[in-house]
Amino acid sequence: MKPAEVSTPSDREVLVKRSFDAPVNLVWQAYTDPALMRRWLTAMPGWSMPVCEMATHVGGKYRWRWRDNESGQEFGFTGEMLEVALHSKIVHTQIYDPGDGDFGSMGDEPTIITVTFNETNGITNVATSIKYASKEDRDAAMSTGMTEGMEMSYKQLDGVLAG
Amino acid sequence: MRRDIFQAIADPTRRAIIALIAVQAMTPNAIEKHFETTRQAVSKHLRILTECELVRQEQKGREIYYSLEIEKMKEIDSWLEQYRKIWETQFAQLDALLAELKQAQKEERKK
Repeated sequence: MKPAEVSTPSDREVLVKRSFDAPVNLVWQAYTDPALMRRWLTAMPGWSMPVCEMATHVGGKYRWRWRDNESGQEFGFTGEMLEVALHSKIVHTQIYDPGDGDFGSMGDEPTIITVTFNETNGITNVATSIKYASKEDRDAAMSTGMTEGMEMSYKQLDGVLAG
Repeated sequence: MRRDIFQAIADPTRRAIIALIAVQAMTPNAIEKHFETTRQAVSKHLRILTECELVRQEQKGREIYYSLEIEKMKEIDSWLEQYRKIWETQFAQLDALLAELKQAQKEERKK
């Protein structure tokens, strides 16, 4: 599959698009079943996901929390489901939970996440729109992401060097 | 007014202008010839790009040439790239998971 496309349609938004070689019912399952979510949402080596609670009804709450096994640092996201349309759309709020670690703040206003699913010929296109409360929140989130990304690359490099 | 740099590079015409002047410095006239748009539209795009410090103007004789601030572009590129990498690492794991689910579904149907 082609790598993810990241764009910034407005000064408060980030849009991530990716296609998956699977029918929408399976992609939906992977996005909503906590046991399956845990398998792919823990992308950073050395990190685990001790909390993964997910609601798939309007008004339901979710809670995701990651943990760096080495330092014990944690951070996570919580929020509420605003819209759920089976196999087609999920809209939820997202509040950053900095945990004990110093992961920076993303403001108190919730971010709105919209995930849309669209299947054609067995390929599912997933578009994730992340709408921040302000441009400052978005820039802060993106620079936090960058730090984590760098941290991840360094850890992988460590692994290579140790091997 | 301070412009948003990500918004500046999200616009398709501005991206095309960036690609053009990345190769060589150009006058607004020369840039305009590559687009089916008005002169005003092109100069507005150039103004936005200049305000974001993505392009630089240089007076040569009677003409103004626009060129790309390569270092600034690289900065943004690596910023977006890191962000994309995090998503892509997760998505690669999702690819593997979906392949597994598909296989399981196939076997389920065989029974």
